[in-house]
Amino acid sequence: MATHEEITGSLQAFGEGYQKNKKLKIMNKDWDRVILIKAADVDSQHTLILKNGELTVTEGTPAGDPDLVVTADSETLADLFYGDITPTEPYMNGTLVIKGSEDDIVRLDFISLMIWGE
Amino acid sequence: MKRVVSVSLGSSGRDHKVQVELLGEQFEIERLGMDGDFDRALAKLQELDGQVDAIGLGGIDVYVYAGNKKYAFKDGLKLMETVKKTPVVDGSGLKNTLERETVNYLLRETNYLNKDTRVLMVSAVDRFGMAQAFTTAGCDVTFGDLIFAAGIPYPIKTLEELEEMAGKLLPEMTKLPFHMLYPTGKKQESRDEEKAKKYAQYYRDADVIAGDFHFIKRYLPDNLNGQIIITNTTTAADVEFLRQSGASRLVTTTPVFEGRSFGTNVMEGVLVALLGKPWEEVTPEDYMDLIERLEFKPRIIDMAS
Repeated sequence: MATHEEITGSLQAFGEGYQKNKKLKIMNKDWDRVILIKAADVDSQHTLILKNGELTVTEGTPAGDPDLVVTADSETLADLFYGDITPTEPYMNGTLVIKGSEDDIVRLDFISLMIWGE
Repeated sequence: MKRVVSVSLGSSGRDHKVQVELLGEQFEIERLGMDGDFDRALAKLQELDGQVDAIGLGGIDVYVYAGNKKYAFKDGLKLMETVKKTPVVDGSGLKNTLERETVNYLLRETNYLNKDTRVLMVSAVDRFGMAQAFTTAGCDVTFGDLIFAAGIPYPIKTLEELEEMAGKLLPEMTKLPFHMLYPTGKKQESRDEEKAKKYAQYYRDADVIAGDFHFIKRYLPDNLNGQIIITNTTTAADVEFLRQSGASRLVTTTPVFEGRSFGTNVMEGVLVALLGKPWEEVTPEDYMDLIERLEFKPRIIDMAS
């Protein structure tokens, strides 16, 4: 089980990976989204906000309704955002649940692979 | 009579059956759409296994390529591995030969393609041979793989960048359900209105639009301005649709039987049945030799006439 602080750390690493990738910022200029990240086994919630290609990470829930809700156990979330695992497999086996449109799910998968992919 | 059947994840509205004679052999060629129902496709493949001379897998890619790397879609492999006795193909073997040759034919025999001709390839990893041929010809190519498969408005402009992206994305994205990346079933019959508007400029900026017809059709904007379309799997209704949309010419890479250009999976199935040897042993040279003997040439339809 990962702690809230570990998930925060993983999301900060994810955010830093995003900031370093100029191409990714260009690619996401059209994709303004609010994403809620929820751990299923510990009290931990974070919000990712994508606006004009920029990504910000905050602790807690968003002010309004999120466009996407990502839920998994704390260990999976920390592994995922640290890039130790890719989202595809946990998504396919149901460990990672993403609520949102199919296009948005593909897009989130894409961002993760662009940051951590081979 | 040899029988070749294509089992497609696409719409059954496009089903078709023809009889043709090729190199003295009678062929019955049939396409069966499964309306996006994966389990129905698995059952149909099991039913046909051992009963026909070759099976094509349509509406899905098994193998895609970028540079020297080959990637396999998990869903496609699952379908392919269901078939134990009959040779089963997805068209990727033939695409590399036939579609590269189509570009070379157009360069040799027409003035449609020149250095700097602006080409939009709606997707290139499923037609890497064609992508290389356009690039070698000096065309100004936009690879739309991210735009049309992933909804990311980022045009890829070089084969090197395409290979780099493919290396990062495809090892994982090929594990996703195929319908998340490609229009299957009923989606093949309708246009994505929002994206057709959003991506219209990529179509209108091009002189030539090439690649998978279902991608081309799903995002086709209202008014083209005389573009040449290079594709296959078009029906007579599709030809009329393209004419109405403002395309100037349609070039189909596979032969037309009874007004219908079949998919490369069907034609690869026919060639494998003619060769009569295991698919694993078939070489690009075998395909080239047969294509020449069959006198397969791209078909060009002038939309103005």
